[in-house]
Amino acid sequence: MGSIQQPGQVFDAIQKAKAGAPAFCTNFFPVESKLQGWIDHGELSGEAHAGAAFFLRKDRDFHHFYFCAADETALQRAIAAWSGLKSGPMVTDLVGNESDVNRLLPVLEQAGFRRYTRLQRMARMGRMETGGGAAPVEFAGKADGPAALGLIENSFDRHGEQLPTSYEIESAIENRQMLAARREGVLAGLLFFETQGLASTVRFWTVAEKFRDCRVGSALIQHYFQTHAAVRRFTLWVNSGNENAIAKYRHYGYAPDGLVDQVLANEMINL
Amino acid sequence: MKSVAEILKEIRPEFDFAASSDFIADGMLDSFDMVTLVATLDKTYGVSIPGTDIVPENFQNLKTIEALLRKCGAKP
Repeated sequence: MGSIQQPGQVFDAIQKAKAGAPAFCTNFFPVESKLQGWIDHGELSGEAHAGAAFFLRKDRDFHHFYFCAADETALQRAIAAWSGLKSGPMVTDLVGNESDVNRLLPVLEQAGFRRYTRLQRMARMGRMETGGGAAPVEFAGKADGPAALGLIENSFDRHGEQLPTSYEIESAIENRQMLAARREGVLAGLLFFETQGLASTVRFWTVAEKFRDCRVGSALIQHYFQTHAAVRRFTLWVNSGNENAIAKYRHYGYAPDGLVDQVLANEMINL
Repeated sequence: MKSVAEILKEIRPEFDFAASSDFIADGMLDSFDMVTLVATLDKTYGVSIPGTDIVPENFQNLKTIEALLRKCGAKP
């Protein structure tokens, strides 16, 4: 794998895989700003194969595997010939509707990936009338960065839920994309969101164990809705097996929108 | 053949694409939608939109998408 130095290398590799492709398939959906961040931090490497391009992104103590391929056969051929799959702990995602995901799943399983977890996207449309939050909520400040990252890392699975890096946390705080609730002088909960025009995604919403059942979570999400009155479409990803979280999101008007993310891991990650 | 506006409406029925001049800035298309849109445009218009053209500038509004299709040899 060669280090990617500029976004153009990614687009060129995608183009080579995609040119004339009858059934282009990919799990690589980076927005430009994220792609640039990965490149700037030396996290992205790539490799071209016949009819396919593979990318690896370094994340903590493992890698994310991404592919672009002309079709399933090209993917199957390229991945079977690729020795990198056993080079270290690795996860990959298949994102799409149920039938798209199930179509590609056997290709990755035959290559050696195993089903790790499954996420589903939930969405809600339009504004929601909410009462005032019971507790004060404010934008997170620069000093909250390490505590925010620690809280996210303690609450979510690094292999399955695309946790942010410290620089992403810093950027979110700087861009006022993180709400914070404090209790007893510490960060009790946070809500990390990404808003673009009329759409907003909750990336992480969590409360420290000590402060659960103290209405911290509801204060955060109510504040979030109140300050996003112009947004038309709210989305988030949730672990399909987390019934408590799904029930909570349903309470706030979210419903599955049909998009799923099947996370797979190679044999160097424990299931 | 479906128009670009009809395809967009199928992907994101909740948005009024005709009222926007910048779908990306307005948050009407996310990265998953973009891939779906490109695949649908490829199939509908019988073209293969180059990877290097899958950039936000080409998907800002109906005019830029139609211009991209024309560049790829389609007649939207």
